[in-house]
Amino acid sequence: MENILLFSPEIILAVTAIVVLFTGLFLKTEHKSVLGYIAVAGVIISMALTLSIMLSMTTASMFYGTMVIDSLSQLFKLIFLSVALLVSIASIKYVSGSRNTEEFYSLMLLAVIGMMVVSSSNDLITLFVGFELAGLATYALVGFEKKNIVLLEASMKYFIIGALSSALILFGMSYVYGMTGTTSIPGIAENASLLAESPIGLAAVVLLIAGFGYKMALVPFHMWAPDTYQGASPVISALLAGASKKMGFIAAFKVIIVALIALSADWRTIFAVLAVITMTLGNVVALTQTSVKRMLAYSSVAQAGYIAMAFVVLTPTALAGGILYIMSHAFMKAGAFIAVGIVGFMVLLGNREARNVDHIDNFKGLAKRMPLTAFSLMVFLFALAGIPATAGFVSKFVLFASTIEAGLVWLAVIAILNSAISLFYYARVVKYMYFMPAEGGRVSEPAPFAVAMIIALAAVLIIGIWPEPFIYWATEAAKVLLI
Amino acid sequence: MIALEHYLILSAIIFSIGLYGLMTLKNGIRLMMCIELMLNAAIINLVAFSAYSHDITGQVFALFIIALAAAEAAIGLAIMLSIYRVRDDINLNEVNILRW
Repeated sequence: MENILLFSPEIILAVTAIVVLFTGLFLKTEHKSVLGYIAVAGVIISMALTLSIMLSMTTASMFYGTMVIDSLSQLFKLIFLSVALLVSIASIKYVSGSRNTEEFYSLMLLAVIGMMVVSSSNDLITLFVGFELAGLATYALVGFEKKNIVLLEASMKYFIIGALSSALILFGMSYVYGMTGTTSIPGIAENASLLAESPIGLAAVVLLIAGFGYKMALVPFHMWAPDTYQGASPVISALLAGASKKMGFIAAFKVIIVALIALSADWRTIFAVLAVITMTLGNVVALTQTSVKRMLAYSSVAQAGYIAMAFVVLTPTALAGGILYIMSHAFMKAGAFIAVGIVGFMVLLGNREARNVDHIDNFKGLAKRMPLTAFSLMVFLFALAGIPATAGFVSKFVLFASTIEAGLVWLAVIAILNSAISLFYYARVVKYMYFMPAEGGRVSEPAPFAVAMIIALAAVLIIGIWPEPFIYWATEAAKVLLI
Repeated sequence: MIALEHYLILSAIIFSIGLYGLMTLKNGIRLMMCIELMLNAAIINLVAFSAYSHDITGQVFALFIIALAAAEAAIGLAIMLSIYRVRDDINLNEVNILRW
């Protein structure tokens, strides 16, 4: 039974979720901020356990081979837990004074457990259950403020599209099961020739790519993402863009790259088309946005296009680049959404009835009003654009270099041109923050938001300046995918 | 004797009806019924494959999906109910504050 210890990060989180939920029942609203600290403690313990399992390089399979522990799963668990840490710290401010604090934290922890189950699943059933656990918890989180129609609209759109995506995935999985006679991912990889011979195999691939494409927000399956990211509160947008989207990628890595590698000729073409239209449309539409959250959402769509290049190139370096990109994007995007959340807080402090708090006009002269937030947001935006000395540069470099190395120069050229376009809209926000006159005096950042933002800032700069260990772990994780 | 193909054609038809409804209908409750149709089409597939290949895994998967579909319906109805309380309407054409 020593294997159960390898499952301890998930167990710790589940216990924390239950403890938070039940403690909240007995607390008065004004004392509920303590729940945030319990959740943060649970996430930190779980992170420490995951890190120790990862550093010991353990590989194991648990629960009759339905779950695996390897460097890939542990790395993704760490990414999800880091985003959860940022979100739970920042939420201490966001949910303060809410009667439903305990539900917020327990739903958030359950969503993270779902993502962690997906990242270590080795069977279609486990993968789907984890996928749904994360999905169901995030639908409820997006619509957290029950009286706010904007949040409800975001939640409803996310729910309909999320349910559609799980139905598509499930229908694809049913064909895969029918043709190969097993739901185990290595078992499917062994019998995949049965799938490749039949026309049903192609139908299954298309259904699975469409289903996972919705979670990854690849164009043309992206329409929910801008609405949901803009409508949801910034901390939840950080969770969705930083973690939930990455769950789509790990699920697609497992089901499409590991299990259906025999059909790679089919899906590499599909992913090449999706990657190109995703990055182009995401960047072009982001140019005209006036809501910064919506701009970040379209930039997130475009970044998914870059990561999808890993499916097309399919060399160990490219997959390592994709995984490194997933890691850096989690920090950059979560940090950027938290910084936007601070600006929203500042606007509401000036005028409680303010609408469109993330409009770009509210960022005018931010460098004077909140120097720390303005600086961090500038770093996050430059990292998203791929300026050197940030995480974004390192991951773009590894990914694009491996694309050229594999002989797909046209794809790398399109990606680099897209990065150049993206610099325009990122730089526009920086111009508003640093070169426009301020309207209003200095405001100090709320401490929880500031702490979360500084952690994300540190992560982005450390990956950018000292990338070797991160590249090493991404390479180790990529080795699991291509056996 | 009903062959496996008959079940597959039935499930494909049910899935397509659900997908078509999801694309065209505007009422929140109808959308949720379409999603249920799509999930149930997958269940028919799984059980049919399972019965014809004498392998129990597909039926276990089907039981998991039934439980998850119920949870999904609960969350979905909760969201629709909240929208109804704020707007007195669940016609989703009217819910369009967020757009580009």
